[in-house]
Amino acid sequence: MSDQASAVGHAIAEELAKCDVRLVASLPDNWLTGLINAIDGDTRFVHVRVNREEAAVGLCSGAYMGALGSAALMGASGFMTVVYAITKINYTYEIPLFLLLTLRGAVGDHHKHHVSNGLYLRSVLDAINMPYEIMDSTADVPSISRCYRHTRTYARPMAVLLTRDLLLGKKT
Amino acid sequence: MNYLDCFHAIARRRTDQIAVTSAGNSSQAWWAVTRDSEASFYLDASMSLSTMFASGLALAQPDLNVWAFMGDGAFCMNPGMLMVERQMNLRNLVHFLVSNRVYGATSNATLPNFADNDYAAMARAMGLDRVFEFRGIQELERDFDRVAAGNAPGHTFVVLEVEPFSEEEQRLEQPPFDGPELKFRFGREVERRTDCNVFGYRL
Repeated sequence: MSDQASAVGHAIAEELAKCDVRLVASLPDNWLTGLINAIDGDTRFVHVRVNREEAAVGLCSGAYMGALGSAALMGASGFMTVVYAITKINYTYEIPLFLLLTLRGAVGDHHKHHVSNGLYLRSVLDAINMPYEIMDSTADVPSISRCYRHTRTYARPMAVLLTRDLLLGKKT
Repeated sequence: MNYLDCFHAIARRRTDQIAVTSAGNSSQAWWAVTRDSEASFYLDASMSLSTMFASGLALAQPDLNVWAFMGDGAFCMNPGMLMVERQMNLRNLVHFLVSNRVYGATSNATLPNFADNDYAAMARAMGLDRVFEFRGIQELERDFDRVAAGNAPGHTFVVLEVEPFSEEEQRLEQPPFDGPELKFRFGREVERRTDCNVFGYRL
């Protein structure tokens, strides 16, 4: 992992801490390594490695009901498996959920196995009326707090989509 | 043991515990025996997430004692949840696995490998220490205090072997709440008990 990716991870972790996120539930994606390492090494967070992405949805939703700030961190592929959990829990009960996802399959992702995410991730988000913002450079990172607070106002989920250029430190 | 008799026995032992129930039968049964609309969250049809939801709550509020109910239909969808529960090892969480060997909420359709699934063994294999199994009411009544023992270290997993709902029991009322009402009733109760601020404003 590059120093740039590590620095971006720490910058995002700092932003999460500013909005009182204390629980981070994660599954890995190569692009998220810097961020997951930053979270894992930061004592301000309880980092829970979950067995599948919908477990992160459950954990963060329960944490909300106990007044604990939280974020679910996962790859685009993982997100594509959790639509039922989100519509069932976060839409039915109107429970906020903050998601940080990788924008897989977009320009710059050379992995053919992520083409489906490029084709459908944003379409699926639109289909379930989930707002999202794309973060493509370190200049976008301060928007994380605004998006997090929006979940609390909106009382439903919102996602930020983190690009390769941001997460690997290619764009400032 | 009869499903409702089992829940009656557990409800009689309830003191200050917050409850989270799962799809279908466990929500119906808990509502039937408690009529609790504040300290119970009926997480209907979450398909295996009731204990993850309860774990988030238990982590957030360590002084709350949380009981989470889940049918073995939900458990079979995601037994890896026990890895996460073991990792978190929350001493204020009890996971009740209600094993009737069927998908109770879908007309008692049969579970895969229903005859051989050994849920307690699966839990032990994942490193859980506090694992209990109850097959009869007398045994449950006699030994339940061990389940809820104060100061017991770590997460507790309890298998309740029950009979599937009868046709008449299947007609028990579902908890009659819209989602947001349940959220607010439950959240206000959590606020009252813990002096926290769930919704960003207190009444």
